[in-house]
Amino acid sequence: MRIPILNLGRILLVSIQVDLTDSDAMEFQSDLVNRVAEIEALGVAIDITALDVVDSYMARVINDTAYMVRLLGAEAVICGVQPFVAMTLIEMGRDLLGANCAFNLEQGMEILQERIAKRGDAYLDEDENE
Amino acid sequence: MAFPARRGPSILKSRGHTSKQGYHKEPLRTMTTPLKQLLREHRTELLDEWLQRAQTIWSDDGHSENLPHEWTLKLRAIFDDIVAAIDQTPTDTFELNPESPLANHLTQFVTAQARTGNSANRITSLILALKNLLSNRLVTQSHTDALIDLIWLERVFDRLTLLTFSAFVEVRERFIAQQSLSLMELSTPVLRLWNRILMMPLIGVIDTVRAREITEQLLEAIARHEARVTILDLTGVPVIDTGVAQHLMKTIDAARLLGTRVIMTGISPEGAQTLTKLGVHFNDVISRATLRAGIAEALLLIGQRISPIEDRRP
Repeated sequence: MRIPILNLGRILLVSIQVDLTDSDAMEFQSDLVNRVAEIEALGVAIDITALDVVDSYMARVINDTAYMVRLLGAEAVICGVQPFVAMTLIEMGRDLLGANCAFNLEQGMEILQERIAKRGDAYLDEDENE
Repeated sequence: MAFPARRGPSILKSRGHTSKQGYHKEPLRTMTTPLKQLLREHRTELLDEWLQRAQTIWSDDGHSENLPHEWTLKLRAIFDDIVAAIDQTPTDTFELNPESPLANHLTQFVTAQARTGNSANRITSLILALKNLLSNRLVTQSHTDALIDLIWLERVFDRLTLLTFSAFVEVRERFIAQQSLSLMELSTPVLRLWNRILMMPLIGVIDTVRAREITEQLLEAIARHEARVTILDLTGVPVIDTGVAQHLMKTIDAARLLGTRVIMTGISPEGAQTLTKLGVHFNDVISRATLRAGIAEALLLIGQRISPIEDRRP
């Protein structure tokens, strides 16, 4: 199943709501990465509120995706990690989710906006089109 | 016009006949072979036939006009050299001396052809056409001892083909070496983008030699300009693999030690995926999708920004 990727201006929003098979996860990853490059996104929010179980593979996929997004020049935030998920991830290893996390999507978006506002290219379009 | 057959000292080394006795015996034996006789009797005829074949090879390549005059002259010279060489060598040995006129003429011809972009195929088939011609004639005249001559002919033309081939490859290889050298010099410029902002666009495949060159030039430029920010643009790097990633990491780490912030720009989605999957993590490096965004970021880091002129200066 394909994960929909929503545009919010130059921020991308993805919400993972079902458990993904391995191939789905890879497809999601490359879809997202290509979309980031295509629209030159400034930020990406990955919401995993609906996930009750995150295994080490999935954690790694999410983490890698966040890193790829950053390599492509966008900010990345992971939102809505459930307390139980957080505990198992810590049990498995500290660095499984090394990316920035936010409590929920709202706070995630705030963090993104804040970070983007501090960036050099935040006002680029305005400056060029004025 | 056809050159007279060379009668000078033998241009071809003959192994095992260095003693004076052997030397005097040679001419007697060389007089009689069918191949030599054939060449003496039908020399002009054979040359004409070969030139005709050369013409065919030339037109098969999509040329409508006649064989260039220059070709005819060169081929004539080579033909004369070959005839002379065959005439002066006993039939059990043939070593092509690289100093001999035959080798010189052939090398010159092949070199000129290779430079103008003619295919190796065509040049080799010219030589092989002559062999074909001679062996066919030899067989049709069907002497009883033609077999020895055939084998010998084989050997002579093997040497000639080898020479042709190596001359061709040498030209092309020199060409490639020159090009990669100029590519290396051209492709590592360090540009001063702004006061205290340097930029280095990387183009092409990064190997170990280039990586070292890149690092050296970059560090030197950073030190010279006291750069605060350095932009590494990777738009022109086709493939990012472990090797490239390692080199990049070293370059970036070295630059950071000099106190400059490093901004990478223009990584492709595939490149980003490869880097992540290889487990390469760049610490403290800003990455931006395009050079444009990278420049904006660099300017921000030194507290400046490109914006429209609001009021004209007096």
